[in-house]
Amino acid sequence: MDESTLIRHAANGDAAAWEPLVLAHQEAVFRLSYLLLGDPDDAEDIAQETFLRAWKHLKRFDATRPLRPWLLSIASNLASNRRRSAGRYLSALMRAFRNEPGFSSNIEETSVRHLEANDLWKAVRNLSVSDQQIIYLRYFLDLSVTEAAEVLQVAEGTIKSRLSRALERLRGIIQQDFPVLAEKREGSDS
Amino acid sequence: MTELQQELFEKQLLSISKGFDYPRTPDIAGSVMRRLRPSPLTPLPLGEGKRRPRFISRRLAWSLTIILILFSSLMLIPPARAAIIEFIQIGVVRIFRAEPTPPNQEIPSVMSPVTATPGPTSQPLIPILESLAGEMTLEEAQKAVDYPILLPSYPPDLGRPDRVFVQDVGGNMVVLVWIDPQQPERVLMSLHFIPNGSWAIDKMKPKLIQETTVNGQRAIWTVGPYPIRFSNGDIDFIRLIDGHVLIWADGNVTYRLETNLPLEEALKIAESLQPIQR
Repeated sequence: MDESTLIRHAANGDAAAWEPLVLAHQEAVFRLSYLLLGDPDDAEDIAQETFLRAWKHLKRFDATRPLRPWLLSIASNLASNRRRSAGRYLSALMRAFRNEPGFSSNIEETSVRHLEANDLWKAVRNLSVSDQQIIYLRYFLDLSVTEAAEVLQVAEGTIKSRLSRALERLRGIIQQDFPVLAEKREGSDS
Repeated sequence: MTELQQELFEKQLLSISKGFDYPRTPDIAGSVMRRLRPSPLTPLPLGEGKRRPRFISRRLAWSLTIILILFSSLMLIPPARAAIIEFIQIGVVRIFRAEPTPPNQEIPSVMSPVTATPGPTSQPLIPILESLAGEMTLEEAQKAVDYPILLPSYPPDLGRPDRVFVQDVGGNMVVLVWIDPQQPERVLMSLHFIPNGSWAIDKMKPKLIQETTVNGQRAIWTVGPYPIRFSNGDIDFIRLIDGHVLIWADGNVTYRLETNLPLEEALKIAESLQPIQR
């Protein structure tokens, strides 16, 4: 069955039809949540909640449209709320109780490539949430401008202008705080 | 940045971000499907329990662990053993008392004006406020809730709150915050309006619990430091409170006044609440 057929079945209450759709999109939803929150437990919570909310509101979704942008849109909103919600303090407190370090040390930095990608993530995390969202969608998740516009529910032109400004700010951060990345950048510019 | 530079930069971002090492994607489909198709009559196979929805299990597990640790340590103290099951409920707030506390114990007798420099226990809450959701104007907050937001008319120079938040905690909770004008990085006091049906709030073993009244309604005065647990079954979070809190309920709303002021001043503030003057 194709995606739109599965969506129609799921919208009619067929949970078995929802499962392959969750399987197909869980990685993208989890990854975006992780990029935005920096904590795998939080990301898992948000990913679960995303699919439960989508299931609840599936009847309102146009089955002819691709599902992924809608799911990412829900995840992005939930993650933004989570960042600012009281529950976030629980996570911090729980980490303290578990004596766990922050998000950065959870990453197995086994190669220069991973190091660079992690540095880039750190640089992006210095941006505003809306700048982060657009950069994660466009580059980390490799979405097209059209798809990113669907996720963020804005026009493609708006995505392009927001992206341009976000890139400008990211470049400034990299030049100031991530000299190794900046050197690499200058090398590729020339 | 020229178009060419931007294009190169974008290519570089795409290339670098491909090397990002994400954590392994957990079995979200499994958890989601279990939550969609709960089967209480069918026990989970051994080992399945650890894959229950994290939203409930992890939060709850850690909260329960902390509570159990507190509980266990209290049970080692004989006088506490008999008193541990006691709790006081005011509106949606439930306060567990670990041991009987004589009235008037450790109540500061010195009255100080509310605009005075707060004591050393005042908390640097500003970073928390900056990241809290739901900030709005007082007027917007009043439109967002179906109960009247009341403002203290005592002390006369207190003025309107500096920050106003409305947070969904199963009902719309309003939090009014007054910043200390002399120490702008510190919160002078905060007043919470918690409608019935909101998350239960449990306080565990405050240093002092004293019963009192606000406008004839039963009230509780607690003195920290102590952990406070907010819960609604799905989500718990714990905050360490290092101030004093006056709690009372009136109708469908529970009020919490957090302050470093002594009880006498807190009562004056609580009894001076009036609807917003337009």
